[in-house]
Amino acid sequence: MASISIRNLNKTYPDGVEVIDGLNLEIKDKEFIVLVGPSGCGKSTTLRMIAGLEDITGGELAIGDRVVNDVQPKDRDIAMVFQNYALYPHMTVYKNMAFGLELKKVPKDEIDQKIKEAAKVLDLEKYLNRKPKALSGGQRQRVALGRAMVRNPAVFLLDEPLSNLDAKLRTQMRTEISKLHRKLQTTFVYVTHDQTEAMTMGDRIVVLKDGKIQQVDTPENLYNKPANIFVAGFIGSPQMNFINSKVTQEGSKYFIKIDGCTLEIPAGKNKNDILSKYAGKEVVVGIRPEDFHLDQAFIEMAPKSLIDVKIDLTEMMGAEVYCYGKIDDEAIIFRAPSRFRPKEQEEIVVAIDVNKIHLFDKETTESIII
Amino acid sequence: MKDKLNSNRSRTFLAITIPIVILFFVFNTMAVIQGFGYSLTNFKGFGGYDFVGLRNYIDLFSDERIINSYIFTFGFAIICTILVNIISLVLALGLSSKIRAQGALRAIYFLPNILGGLVIGYVFNFFFTYILPGIGEAINSGALSNSLLASPKTAWFALVITVAWQAVALNTLIYISGLQTVPEDVYEAGAIDGAVGFKKFKNITFPLIMPFFTINMVLCMKNFLMVFDQVVSLTGGGPARSTESISFLIYSGGLSGGAFGYQSANAVIFFVVIVTISIFQLRFLNSKEEQL
Ligand SMILES: Nc1ncnc2c1ncn2[C@@H]1O[C@H](COP(=O)(O)OP(=O)(O)O)[C@@H](O)[C@H]1O
Ligand SMILES: [Mg+2]
Repeated sequence: MASISIRNLNKTYPDGVEVIDGLNLEIKDKEFIVLVGPSGCGKSTTLRMIAGLEDITGGELAIGDRVVNDVQPKDRDIAMVFQNYALYPHMTVYKNMAFGLELKKVPKDEIDQKIKEAAKVLDLEKYLNRKPKALSGGQRQRVALGRAMVRNPAVFLLDEPLSNLDAKLRTQMRTEISKLHRKLQTTFVYVTHDQTEAMTMGDRIVVLKDGKIQQVDTPENLYNKPANIFVAGFIGSPQMNFINSKVTQEGSKYFIKIDGCTLEIPAGKNKNDILSKYAGKEVVVGIRPEDFHLDQAFIEMAPKSLIDVKIDLTEMMGAEVYCYGKIDDEAIIFRAPSRFRPKEQEEIVVAIDVNKIHLFDKETTESIII
Repeated sequence: MKDKLNSNRSRTFLAITIPIVILFFVFNTMAVIQGFGYSLTNFKGFGGYDFVGLRNYIDLFSDERIINSYIFTFGFAIICTILVNIISLVLALGLSSKIRAQGALRAIYFLPNILGGLVIGYVFNFFFTYILPGIGEAINSGALSNSLLASPKTAWFALVITVAWQAVALNTLIYISGLQTVPEDVYEAGAIDGAVGFKKFKNITFPLIMPFFTINMVLCMKNFLMVFDQVVSLTGGGPARSTESISFLIYSGGLSGGAFGYQSANAVIFFVVIVTISIFQLRFLNSKEEQL
């Protein structure tokens, strides 16, 4: 069990590309932290530096109270689960799990006991004498988890462990890994490019882009209070809609204009009168797909926030419909209960929940109000 | 339509295959059968001959020269196989690690393989006869001043060096391709489990390149048992017949020694021996190979 401190971490590969640039992160003991971001943003690099598989170019990395910059992987008290499992192909499942402990000279009966325990938790008892090639993808993944478990590490590192599994198995393993974390009570650092995985598993989520942290927060806060356009767009599916607009001021009231419709920004959102700086300026309005409303009650309640949408296409998802349309010329997507399924090419009126809108600075892309 | 395509294809197949089969039969199979025929006669390589039955085969087993050549050849092949495999494995490991000019170095190490055995033999002959003793004299070393090739005690060693120098090239290449089949993340999992240094080699690298080890062992053993070119160009079987390999003896005794029938019998036995050893090696090493 251990916390992890990452201070000013830097990574420049020998080819001169700076992949990680001044990364700071405090991971608490027993926390399930998820590193998420688009492919190539440096998630694996960061994880591999924690594991000791990649040299640290600059900065400091501590596991527990110990700075481990120059400590070998085997001495960092970590275990890692790789994307392609990385099982030893020539060893049985049993031996795969036993190998690390044997090298540490753990007594045979203790090893045996640990493996039996892990095999029971992971439902691998029947396969202990098989070689990896005789296992399915899901089983291999469980062996990889088992190999990590028996080491009883202070930190679990997982690099996209589910990306090679099919959708159904992925959902199932997702809950299994979450359960495992609860049971083991150790620190987990989990890398994924999939925001759904991040949202469902993480205690806290680190959103990375181009080797820089965009935001570190709980899933709820990332969703409700994204720090910038990137985070707002990355978290949530379907994506948040971004519409270019302009802030106007009348007395102490502020408005934004979208397609001839003027929406008043609720005064409660204008903390510290931040909007005064943006009066007359261009901003980006962010509206989540579920913050458009089609039902009559809402439309009647909010006569000032109605807007015309021309529907291009609808996608039936079961309980709800994804509606693709255009406001003015900007493409948007919103969700509606399936009983409200609009016709394609139809022009409809929707109400925007102004209490839920986000505004972003057009230049810095930082969030202005949330 | 489909039938026509098929018959076209089979015609092409036959057109390519038949000439090769005929050539192989005439120059290989026929020769082997003929050789076996001669091995039952007292043919000298010229003139007439009589059928002598298994006489030649019986005589082989009490011929000291032949027994000595078998002892020499096997000793030579075993030492050379071990030496070559150790050196090429070490070289392959070195050339597979992250070093500068990896490609150029690999090309240089592969160079000996494209030279002929005779050429290399003559080059080393020159080296052992003039250069090495020259160096020996310059540094006043008595041991080095005499040519390795001059003494029956050391000539075999010169042969080992020459043959191994060339054989290392191909073996290294095979080991390098073997090392490339081991996924990087398996090594990384090993590094976390504590398999570093020799433990990594013993527990991960070597078991995973076992198939390549098998190939190299079999290739080496077979090639070294049949060593010929380098014997011709380096030692001529001497001094005092101390480096007379079986192939060399078959050639020299059969073609210039006037014992064609007799050495044909030797060749037949030798052929059986090599096939037996190769099959045995493959069986044995295959059973050791991990089923991946
Ligand atoms: N060994 C390497 N040498 C050079 N560049 C690398 C190396 N490994 C990764 N990179 C680069 O570093 C960046 C981040 O890679 P990575 O951490 O693997 O991204 P992610 O896991 O987030 O997809 C990428 O642009 C990648 O091309
Ligand atoms: Mg990655």
